[in-house]
Amino acid sequence: MVETKKNEFRKRDFFYLVPLWLISLMAPDPYLYHKKGFKKKDLFYLGVLVLAPLIWSDSHFHHLMVLAGIYATLALGLSLFMGYAGQISLGHAAFFGIGAYTTAILTTRYAIPTFLAFWASALSAAVIASLIGRSILKLKGYFLALATLGFGEIFLVIVRESTDFTGGVIGIFGIPWFSVMGFSFDTYLRQYYLTWGVLMGLFIFSKNLVRSKVGRSLLAVAASEDAASSVGINVPWIKLESFVLGAAFSGLAGSLFACVMSTANPEAFSLGFTVLIVMMVILGGMGNLYGPIAGAILLTWVMDILSKYQEYSLPIYGVILILLLVFFPDGIGTRFNVRLIYLIGYWAKKKKRDEGKL
Amino acid sequence: MSFLSIERITKGYDGIRALDGVSLGLEKGSIKGLIGPNGAGKSTLFHLISGVEKPDSGKIYFKEREITSMKSHEISALGIGRTFQTLQIWGNMTVVENIMAGMNRRLKGGLFSCGLWLPWIRRSEKEALKEAKEILDSLGLLGKWESMASQLPYGKQKLLELGRALAMKPDLLLLDEPASGLTSTEMQQLSKQISQIGQEGVTIFIVEHHMGMVMEIADEIAVLHNGKLIAEGTPDGVRRNPEVIEAYLKSKKTDA
Repeated sequence: MVETKKNEFRKRDFFYLVPLWLISLMAPDPYLYHKKGFKKKDLFYLGVLVLAPLIWSDSHFHHLMVLAGIYATLALGLSLFMGYAGQISLGHAAFFGIGAYTTAILTTRYAIPTFLAFWASALSAAVIASLIGRSILKLKGYFLALATLGFGEIFLVIVRESTDFTGGVIGIFGIPWFSVMGFSFDTYLRQYYLTWGVLMGLFIFSKNLVRSKVGRSLLAVAASEDAASSVGINVPWIKLESFVLGAAFSGLAGSLFACVMSTANPEAFSLGFTVLIVMMVILGGMGNLYGPIAGAILLTWVMDILSKYQEYSLPIYGVILILLLVFFPDGIGTRFNVRLIYLIGYWAKKKKRDEGKL
Repeated sequence: MSFLSIERITKGYDGIRALDGVSLGLEKGSIKGLIGPNGAGKSTLFHLISGVEKPDSGKIYFKEREITSMKSHEISALGIGRTFQTLQIWGNMTVVENIMAGMNRRLKGGLFSCGLWLPWIRRSEKEALKEAKEILDSLGLLGKWESMASQLPYGKQKLLELGRALAMKPDLLLLDEPASGLTSTEMQQLSKQISQIGQEGVTIFIVEHHMGMVMEIADEIAVLHNGKLIAEGTPDGVRRNPEVIEAYLKSKKTDA
């Protein structure tokens, strides 16, 4: 008697299933989502992103989402290099910094419009990436991680020491708001639409990339370089392409960051920042373009909440990261959805199982 | 000059001569088997042809072009496809994507045209998908086209690797122990596939340990022993060659 009751669907199961269903709307499908074209789910995400700041019109929330959008742009570029091409880079904060300083120097010293400086930032980051990428991308695994880390540190030292050019430790102030043809993005709400608009554009670009020939080449290089070159994929070139593209994304993000914060200083591009971005990619889920965006929103939000606890914030932050990595090793989106599909399948087949058909 | 000709190739690893002045030739449209005891240098020879490694001396010509110093991806772009002794499929992609990635050299499109999903990319992706499904159909893998390649059983993964090499429409196919680890039914299916590929005009160079299979499908057989070519000729001739018999018997003794 007790056993049959245990198998019955209880009303309170509903309370587990409804939130899980809501999460499943948000979370990407496991494994194969990035293989397909755009879906209705993407329209749903777009709707949420457009409406969220209007419904929740709190300027703190807007500012937080602006930062999340910038970090997500950076994480998106890094995810192409890490999640798809299977390499590792601990130097992407440097490209972010290069973007920010290019914008800062061009706008404050030479009075170049921010819109042009924005593109120049991407270009300068990409050029520097292609110069250093040629040599360091021959390295693999830990060695590549160390080389990119070294590059990031060198960048920091150069920025700190060349006081005349970059303002040294103090940095550069008074960077103008981002503006296009006289329209200035001077409120948090406008900046929100600016950053997320840029992110959407880059996201669509990346998504097209990963479902095409280039994306398959990247995945092939990640799985087996010998096999990749055996079908005619130019392995060093495709690695360089993804590295440079990631750097260009970082440059754009850095430029937006400089415009939003109206300052550029070396503190913002330190090793801690690199680790943060890498964490966003890993937490969101590797080999998936939705992951880094989800990871960026999550971590920005967590950091903001923890900032209230001042000196305890870093230890708590560390514990949260450890717990997330232990329980969601494949990223937050993926794991939830696998669980949910399992639960729904279990529930759907229950009747049959009870009747002894399975 | 032959379709593929290898001239006095030598390769050493830390004092061991893996290959010692080997010369070989393949005619267009033929199936050639390469046999020899373990450590005879068969896989090394394949690595040299496909450009994974470079020879110490000697030259390799393919379609009358010297490919000795070319990079691996340039050599495969000339039309040499290969499979690996240790299975090298891309487990992080679906089955059909493995095949489509194999078509890489025939598909147009760079970083920007792919990212902007321009009309011709859309068209070529559609055609590639259709063609990939045809290849999967001929290998009997169409039922699993959307599952991850890593989830296929071993025998099917071997077939997939063959399919990937076929997808690049190679003129020369290098098969490195395609039958290792397969059950006898899978092996029969595989040798049927290989003969069929040969009939379609692809030149095949095959390394294999299963004598029965090589003798059945190959037109000609070459025997390597201790890095030297000791015999070359028709399957029957090679089988009766006393040197070959001795090499195999000796290696059996040392193995035991």
